[in-house]
Amino acid sequence: MGIISVEQTDRLYWLGRYTERVYTTMRLYFTTYDTMIDRIAREYSAFCRKLDIPDIYESGDDFCRRYAFDETDENSMISNLKRAYDNAIVLREEIGSEALSYIQLAIYEIQKASGSAAPLMEFQRVLDNLMAFWGICDDQIASENVRNILKVGKRIERIDLYGRLHRSREELGREVHRLSGRIERCNLKYRKDIVEQLTELVQAEEPDCRAIVSAVEQILEVCA
Amino acid sequence: MYDMDLCDRTDTINELLARYGVKFGIYKNNTFKEQLFPFDAIPRVIGKQEFDMLERGLRQRVDALNLFLRDIYSEKKIIRDGIVPEDFVYSSSGYLVQCEGVTPPGGIYSHISGIDLVKGRDGEWYILEDNLRVPSGASYPMIARALCRRCSPRTFQQYHLEDNRNYAELLKETMDAVNTGGLNVILTPGRYNAAYFEHSYLAEKTGAHLANGSELTVEDNKLFLVGYSGKKERVGAVYRRISDEYLDPMTFNPESVIGIPHIYDVYRAGNVALLNAPGNGVADDKGIYYFVSKMIRYYLDQEPVLYNAPTYLPFYDDDYQFVLDHFDRLVLKDVAEAGGYGVVFADKMTKAQKEDFLALLARERRRFIAQEVIDFEDLDILEENCAVSRKADLRAFVLSGKETKVWKSGLTRFSRNPDSFIVNSSQGGGFKDTWVLSQ
Repeated sequence: MGIISVEQTDRLYWLGRYTERVYTTMRLYFTTYDTMIDRIAREYSAFCRKLDIPDIYESGDDFCRRYAFDETDENSMISNLKRAYDNAIVLREEIGSEALSYIQLAIYEIQKASGSAAPLMEFQRVLDNLMAFWGICDDQIASENVRNILKVGKRIERIDLYGRLHRSREELGREVHRLSGRIERCNLKYRKDIVEQLTELVQAEEPDCRAIVSAVEQILEVCA
Repeated sequence: MYDMDLCDRTDTINELLARYGVKFGIYKNNTFKEQLFPFDAIPRVIGKQEFDMLERGLRQRVDALNLFLRDIYSEKKIIRDGIVPEDFVYSSSGYLVQCEGVTPPGGIYSHISGIDLVKGRDGEWYILEDNLRVPSGASYPMIARALCRRCSPRTFQQYHLEDNRNYAELLKETMDAVNTGGLNVILTPGRYNAAYFEHSYLAEKTGAHLANGSELTVEDNKLFLVGYSGKKERVGAVYRRISDEYLDPMTFNPESVIGIPHIYDVYRAGNVALLNAPGNGVADDKGIYYFVSKMIRYYLDQEPVLYNAPTYLPFYDDDYQFVLDHFDRLVLKDVAEAGGYGVVFADKMTKAQKEDFLALLARERRRFIAQEVIDFEDLDILEENCAVSRKADLRAFVLSGKETKVWKSGLTRFSRNPDSFIVNSSQGGGFKDTWVLSQ
């Protein structure tokens, strides 16, 4: 496939972002959920603060349910996964039915989890499907440009989340390095100066995470 | 033909269909919902000789319909010679005056034709309907076959079947045959269209670009697909899955926001092929259907191989009288409706409904056709592991490019309601694979 339209570029980029958002937040949710088993009830408030999402939950149980499964909560994992699906479903001819099927399977698993007393078991399968999605994108999408746009979305989302979560300098440095290599190889219009700024920020002994989050959102001149 | 190995895997096949997003969209109470299209693993089986006959009949029919369309939008000999009354042509909502004098690239109007047939208990096949605008459904048996082979390889080692997974090749061949130079594009109204799965799946399998109207633009009387960097690539063929009226707001419905302004000018200049051609609705009008056998004799000088279900046009006084005399045994169809809507069985009407309908018919005789209710054969489907009989039809696909080819399969749709003849997916029906034996 040669030419990629503006709409498809936008969808590819956001497919990358939403799949990564679900993947990383679900892994964090695992930890939070586990901590709350030991009755550290307000752990979820720290989770919300870290991700900069409103703490609208009334209790640990309310958080566990709504943050995971409430489609009316725009920050919930299911809402983000549905957004990934909304982008994937209109990209079948670009990413292929096989890759799309893993997003569909992830949706089925999260829906199955909503009725489960031990949802982390199903969430593991959601994560497995998301990883399979990324694997098959690498393996089967012939167009390098399509793969690059998807991965730029993924990397930007990961830096954004890692910045919010105050991840280590090494982790942030690795992600910025991966983004700078990837973004050069795709034909998206981007700001080189911001990539340089990010590289500098992650080299500081104590990276300014707020500045990183703010900068990473300004890299692309489209798709923002 | 029952193959227990395959039948035992019905649930697995349906799970795989769900996994691959084999769905159709439906609006209920103003809300869009995606529904799975239930698959039944007992195939419809058509023998080689029987399909050879169907193939001859379908090619003949589509060739005649293409000649009719060419004639209607040019010389109109069939009207002058009194075979088809002009009233039926010009009062058809599918007749588009904008298509007068326009010859499509390759001279083909209906490139992808979906012909609906049923097999009567007498063993005869009857044509129920011609779909020459945007017939859908080929993708479902195509993907189902691929998944059935995966689930039950022994079944497919055992039987000698025509491979139906070549539909995408046939479609690509058809697009390439009329392409005026450039990309093949499948034009979709978007993911909220009932057949969006099919649009995206066929794009994937044919290698065509899937685009909506906003991704295409007209410049210098040529059509281009616009890339995100502003790069434009010429488009030579558009398999459009949007109806005529929304195709070009400058020529048809000015309120269309899903079409492409001036695409019709590009087509008229011969700079892009549109599959199917605009204006085809005049030939698949339920009223015109009555005349197809006459068209075959007129244009091809042949006897039809396949016949229509016995049909009456209340427009004609004799037929109107016949309809009044035999009303209770007929099915009445509104020529403007599709998808199983606008179909009423006279014997199911209450007295008051009959009176109202007959009054409407008296006022609008051109609007309805009446048909004998074909006692068409039931096919077995699996319901909770038991075989039960249900009404089923067959949509055959005929592709016209360099030559006219019949896809050796088809979409078999069945009613899940034991009392219903309506098989449409939008009304809760399911589907089967159609096996054509190769020897």
